[in-house]
Amino acid sequence: MKKVIVGNHAVAWGARLARVEVISAYPITPQTQVVEKLSEMCADGTLPARFIKVESEHSAMAAVIGASATGARTFTASSSHGLLYMHEMLHWAAGGRHPIVMADVNRSIGPGWNIWTDQNDSLSQRDTGWVQLYCETNQEVIDTTIQAFKLAEALDVPVMLMLDGFYLSHTAEPVDVPDQEMVDRFLPSRVAPRKLDVDDPHAFGALVRPDSYMEMRWLQQEALRQVPAVLETIEADWMRMFGRHYGAVESYRAEDAELLLVTSGTVTSTARYVVNQRRAAGEAIGLVKVKMFRPFPTELLRDALAGVARVAVLDRNFSPGHGGIFAEELRAALYDLPSEVRPAIYGYVLGLGGRDITPTVIDEVIDRTRQSTTSERADLWVGVNP
Amino acid sequence: MPDRIMETTGERHIPSVAMSLTSTLVTHTGSWKFSRPVYHDRVAPCNQGCPVGIDIEGYMNLLREDRVAEARDLLLAENPMPAVTGRVCHHPCERACNRRLFDGAVAIHAVERVLGDMSHGEASPAASAARHHERIAVVGSGPAGLACAYHLARFGYQVTVFEAAPQAGGMLRLGIPEYRLPRAVLDRDIERIAAQGVTIACGTRVDSNAAWNKLLSTFSAVCVATGAHASRTLGVAGEDLPGVRTGLEFLREINGGGRPDLGRNVVVVGGGNTAMDCARAALRLGASVRVAYRRTRDEMPAIGDEVEEALGEGAHISFLANPVEFVATGGRVSGVVCERMELGEPDASGRRRPMPTGERFTIPADTVLTAIGESATLDGLPADVSRSGSGVPVDAVGRTSRASLFAGGDVTDLERTVADALGAGKRAAIGIDRHLRAIAPDHQHGAVPDSLRFGGGNVSAARWRGRDPVNRVAPVNEVVGFDDLNLHHFAAVPGQAEGHLASALGRARFDEVNLGFTPAQAMAEAHRCLNCGTCTQCDVCLIFCPDAAITHGADGAYEIAVDYCKGCGICVAECPRGAITMTRDKT
Repeated sequence: MKKVIVGNHAVAWGARLARVEVISAYPITPQTQVVEKLSEMCADGTLPARFIKVESEHSAMAAVIGASATGARTFTASSSHGLLYMHEMLHWAAGGRHPIVMADVNRSIGPGWNIWTDQNDSLSQRDTGWVQLYCETNQEVIDTTIQAFKLAEALDVPVMLMLDGFYLSHTAEPVDVPDQEMVDRFLPSRVAPRKLDVDDPHAFGALVRPDSYMEMRWLQQEALRQVPAVLETIEADWMRMFGRHYGAVESYRAEDAELLLVTSGTVTSTARYVVNQRRAAGEAIGLVKVKMFRPFPTELLRDALAGVARVAVLDRNFSPGHGGIFAEELRAALYDLPSEVRPAIYGYVLGLGGRDITPTVIDEVIDRTRQSTTSERADLWVGVNP
Repeated sequence: MPDRIMETTGERHIPSVAMSLTSTLVTHTGSWKFSRPVYHDRVAPCNQGCPVGIDIEGYMNLLREDRVAEARDLLLAENPMPAVTGRVCHHPCERACNRRLFDGAVAIHAVERVLGDMSHGEASPAASAARHHERIAVVGSGPAGLACAYHLARFGYQVTVFEAAPQAGGMLRLGIPEYRLPRAVLDRDIERIAAQGVTIACGTRVDSNAAWNKLLSTFSAVCVATGAHASRTLGVAGEDLPGVRTGLEFLREINGGGRPDLGRNVVVVGGGNTAMDCARAALRLGASVRVAYRRTRDEMPAIGDEVEEALGEGAHISFLANPVEFVATGGRVSGVVCERMELGEPDASGRRRPMPTGERFTIPADTVLTAIGESATLDGLPADVSRSGSGVPVDAVGRTSRASLFAGGDVTDLERTVADALGAGKRAAIGIDRHLRAIAPDHQHGAVPDSLRFGGGNVSAARWRGRDPVNRVAPVNEVVGFDDLNLHHFAAVPGQAEGHLASALGRARFDEVNLGFTPAQAMAEAHRCLNCGTCTQCDVCLIFCPDAAITHGADGAYEIAVDYCKGCGICVAECPRGAITMTRDKT
């Protein structure tokens, strides 16, 4: 059924269609509508889930960890400082192998206080052991929310999906809301390998000595290593049932390209427009959209980018003192490609704190990359007027 | 690039999650504790605050469970006149109510009134099966006398009440106007008392030594409850002028059906309930009424609602106005000369003492009604009964200085309210029962065991009879304070509003002004009760226990697994009603 809904409601509908059983969340701009919609659904009975009110994001994550430990399908959502406040619990969720799904509405970090979008909130959580999926449209948001549960529960890893604050969260788009019966077939009830059970209580997360701790982390890494393959299986099922496919990495008009843009989130849509214009003008320019940031899709990106002369990475984020985070990670991933196929990688930092990334801005990135005579860098700032 | 750097070796299997292999039940976390939670049924402050000694908390709990008839019976076990007190009591229970500090006290009086009204015509609670041969005389049929007779009858005695007036009720009938207490309501409460086997002999005055001695020789015990019917005088010039009368005398005439012509301007002197009754009755006779009171609104002894309603009906009050002389024109009173007062330091009653300023002014008056207090007429009592300035001194069970003679109500030197009289009558009944059955070894000392009192408040007849009808879990006789509650578990709910006749309509008639609650309103209001100190099986403790050590027991009460409760006290902190306390283990 087609609905015109904002991204936050796409998240809520996705969680509802996934028949989530326990929700605990704390409202924060621009994520608040997710919490509001889900609490309304719980209150009016259309979503028979327990909604646990809490006093902080730290407690929200703690509550869904506890609920997940009992075998329940759990969901939460946050943004910006709320996500940062969860930080400790994010490690507990991943280390405890709880298949929690969370939506993060990408918002910048203060101070200067700023409620608009960039990716520094979620990227600052990249080493917590969560899968990270960045969405481009509201359709992708609802589809990814549902798929995320299947992915998380297949490998007992938590999954975080991202949508850009306001550009998606508060913008209404036509969304094909999947049919509940089909979603039920796609995503059966959770079968937990172990449960916290008050009638047969066991201790979870207790002391692990040096002779075993490292093995546990290795098992966690093994699970994350399987994510790209499992996600592709899930997407293949989704394609068969719903006719839509996204990919952990998507190449768009990349054939025979001399220059490829690397994008994530809503910038991708703007970049597709610019690519179309450039192709129409006869220029060999395409793009590669990175949906999955963790685990980092090294092999997929090597396949997508090897042989291209130049790559321009659009980073709506940066690691202070270093560079754009996608660009830095990409450079490391492609470092050991043979030199004859390894592209020159130019990383651009732009659009922080919700600054608009217009086609003109992307044109500037393309032109600077093509004309550059300097060596590669990952911290080429765009549009800064110091 | 090596794909598998880490290898597990040997037989070891490392699970993906740090989860204990054995059940944590082997870990007796309860062995760490040095204190433990205990469920205690504690006393709600309303119970403690009730001068009658009603188990308000108990009947509110029954109403919460929709056990309405049982709630009524529990009320009637302690209070024989709920339809009366539901209307005219000054309800100190509501001042004590913990909810008052949250979102407004529960309107206990209005709930009581509905229970009192509904109980008529239905079976009264079962009285004692015991039948004693002793006969008891009660002199006076006001609330103290009737309560004493009622409880004695329920203890199994044969009781006769002697009343000088043609009808029973005492000050309830003579002093309280019908618009506050309809006669039919009073009659029904009295009928219920008579139905317990009490004989009421009206038109029988007992006021001579010979009459008292005859009673004392004929009956096994006698209770004096003759009230306080003498109006205090101001002691100022002109008090004997035509047109100056006591408020009590006026009310007696009104309540007997009289409708005297008071003239245009009526001045009422005083600030108590009698003064308010006089003012409102005079308004109903068409007069313009001004009350002269020597202190301010804050010091008025009248019930706040009575003052509000008097003002609402058009009475005026001159505060800090102390009458110093009544002046006459043509041989009849024509004005009250008042001296303007100001408030000084607090006096013995704790209220700020009015101090004269020397400034005088005159209020025109065609009639003056004085209502500055009543005193007991002690002249007719047996000569050998000791008496203090204001009444007959009694001990905690109503004993006077003379053996077999007990007293209660306004004739004693205690508080003079309907509720206090009903409570005193109950105490005297217990005193007589104890005297005749020689139940208590402390007979000579007059002490009442604290266990009979609601948290140090008035005594419970049910407890005296040895069977508290309420099943309380490990009761402790201490009161739950506001700070003992966890208000996070309660939502604000506005109280129900009683129906009222419109002011203009009320002023024109002697019909009942306050129409009370409907039964549905009473149930809704009862559900506002916080059930202080009572476990309502709300499961908050069970949900919050971090060790899952609290479970439902077989009888509905909670059980705490002592092996796993580590004494953290979260259940105590979370309990909405203060029904769990921590006790320290022996070390």
